[in-house]
Amino acid sequence: MATLSLQNVQKSYGGLQVLHGIDVELEDGGFLVLLGPSGCGKSTLLNLIAGLDDVSAGDIRIDGRSVIELAPKDRNIAMVFQSYALYPTMSVERNIGFGLEMRGVNNTERNAAVKQAADLLQISHLLDRRPANLSGGQRQRVAMGRAIVRNPDLFLFDEPLSNLDAKLRAEMRTEIKRLHGRLGTSVVYVTHDQIEAMTLGTKVAVMKGGYIQQFADPQTIYEKPANMFVAGFIGSPSMNFVTGTLTSDGRLARFEAPGVQVEAPMSSGEIFGAKAAVLGIRPEELKIADSAGSMLTGIIDVVEPTGPDTMVTIRIAEQPIVARLPPRFFGRVGEAIWLSADVRSVSLFDAETERRIPLGTE
Amino acid sequence: MDTGSHLPKTGMIGELSETRYWIYLLLLPSLVIILLVIAYPTIYGMAISFREMRLTRPGLTGWVGFKHYIVMIDDPVFWVALKNTVLWVTFAVVLELGLGFIAATALNRNVPGTGIFAVLILVPYFLPNVVAGHMWALLLDPRLGVINDVLVRIGILSSYKAWFADPNTALAATIFVEAWHGFPFFALLLLAGLKGIPYDLYRAAAVDGAGPIAQFRLITVPMLKSVIAAAVILRVISLVNSPDLLLILTGGGPGDATQVLSLYAFQTAYKDFNFGYASALSVVMFVILMVFAYAYIRLSKIGQE
Repeated sequence: MATLSLQNVQKSYGGLQVLHGIDVELEDGGFLVLLGPSGCGKSTLLNLIAGLDDVSAGDIRIDGRSVIELAPKDRNIAMVFQSYALYPTMSVERNIGFGLEMRGVNNTERNAAVKQAADLLQISHLLDRRPANLSGGQRQRVAMGRAIVRNPDLFLFDEPLSNLDAKLRAEMRTEIKRLHGRLGTSVVYVTHDQIEAMTLGTKVAVMKGGYIQQFADPQTIYEKPANMFVAGFIGSPSMNFVTGTLTSDGRLARFEAPGVQVEAPMSSGEIFGAKAAVLGIRPEELKIADSAGSMLTGIIDVVEPTGPDTMVTIRIAEQPIVARLPPRFFGRVGEAIWLSADVRSVSLFDAETERRIPLGTE
Repeated sequence: MDTGSHLPKTGMIGELSETRYWIYLLLLPSLVIILLVIAYPTIYGMAISFREMRLTRPGLTGWVGFKHYIVMIDDPVFWVALKNTVLWVTFAVVLELGLGFIAATALNRNVPGTGIFAVLILVPYFLPNVVAGHMWALLLDPRLGVINDVLVRIGILSSYKAWFADPNTALAATIFVEAWHGFPFFALLLLAGLKGIPYDLYRAAAVDGAGPIAQFRLITVPMLKSVIAAAVILRVISLVNSPDLLLILTGGGPGDATQVLSLYAFQTAYKDFNFGYASALSVVMFVILMVFAYAYIRLSKIGQE
């Protein structure tokens, strides 16, 4: 168990800078998720933490000790790869015990550790097999076994579930959460799947273009996205954006667009008139309202019942938004509809910088 | 309605194609070719080894049973050639495998600008044995050879050396030339094998604490086992069967210092015109290669994976 601290970590390949001053702190026993689309630098960052690649500038500290000069094997980390990277020519037993074998741990101790890890992951019956004779889920378990058997300071997971089918992925996600709860070892977990980030992480770093867009706990990232990228990346279906103008008298901010009117208390006391802004509302926050005092007015475009919910696409003066409404929705396509949301659940973004405009409800 | 009358009329071939003999008929052309160009020469060659066939003595002909094989047991040249074959093939393959591994590993690093070396390194293999042989004969020539000149200038040799004329250095010199000529074969196959090893395995091994030597020993070599086994078998067969390089460099001499089985069989057939004995030598080589290939495949366990 250990803390992890990334201080102004930078990485360049030739003239191409892929990581720009990454600052992250992870508490002892925490679960850090690096989340972002492909090419955002999250796997590069993981490789730097592992020592598989060298930092160009900045420092990486595990339990307060700088590790940037250390080889991967001396950082006391264990890594699970997307491809699992099991050694094809070795049995499952030797695969799991390989890290201990390389560290010169004697046979008795090694076998006991391998058996314990295998029991924990329920793969004891597979120890004699070769990786080629295992299913995807079993390989995934062996890869995790190889990581936990070493009892490292830090687990590194590189998109470990992306090669599994949807059902198995959900199962293994729960399994990883259970393992983390039981072992208490700090984890750094790379994924492009926002569900994995939300369910597993104690801290989430949303990345794009080599920058951290937001670093916070999952609930904050979901409720108070720092910018439009984070707002759009987290949540499914994603947050609705409506462009309009924002005015403020210092106390109250008023957002207006055709068919949209929202008033919210300002936190900054800033006074401005007619600034281009974007309103963000999550589909699940929208409720059907009366025509009087509603936030949004629009025309029903598509109705998609999914069972537990009904997804309704609504055109608000040519800007489409999606509302997740209760089942047994009786509105018909072409009819007018009025919607409202708790003002504390809406986000406002500067249309130019795409950054969040803090409201008085925060 | 009588549907049968509407079926198209078929000839004899059409009817035959509906029977189970059709498949054999289709296989017949290739079977004939195989029998003609592979089975017949092989069996004929084996048959000659039990006959007397000397072009210098046309009258002397007929079956002689195991005579040639019995003569072989008491033929000192055969035993020298057998020993030299084992030495020549073993050292050449070990050297070529080693050099090939070094070359393949270097090329696999994908250092920018080294792509041209992947082609250059194959040049020795492109050269026909005859050309390579004459080239090295000149390079190592006792009077004109540039290698002698260089070695004398840097002080390793005190005077020019006749590498192929000295019984102590002749075999080693020919092995050196063969290794130069044959290592690209291993480099090429091993490079293809290396490209097939997922890079994640090395990253996982680095995290697990395996250094470069352990990675090479526990990942690279096991992953290349099938490739190595196949390359070694192919190369051994080729080396045992090809006398051309030695024919050009030494002709088996001095004395019998570089005499190998293939060259001995060749010379027995085309210098002494004793085809019966030459065939017997060839059959012995054939059997040795069969035993070697079988044992090697069993030992390297490539059949199991």
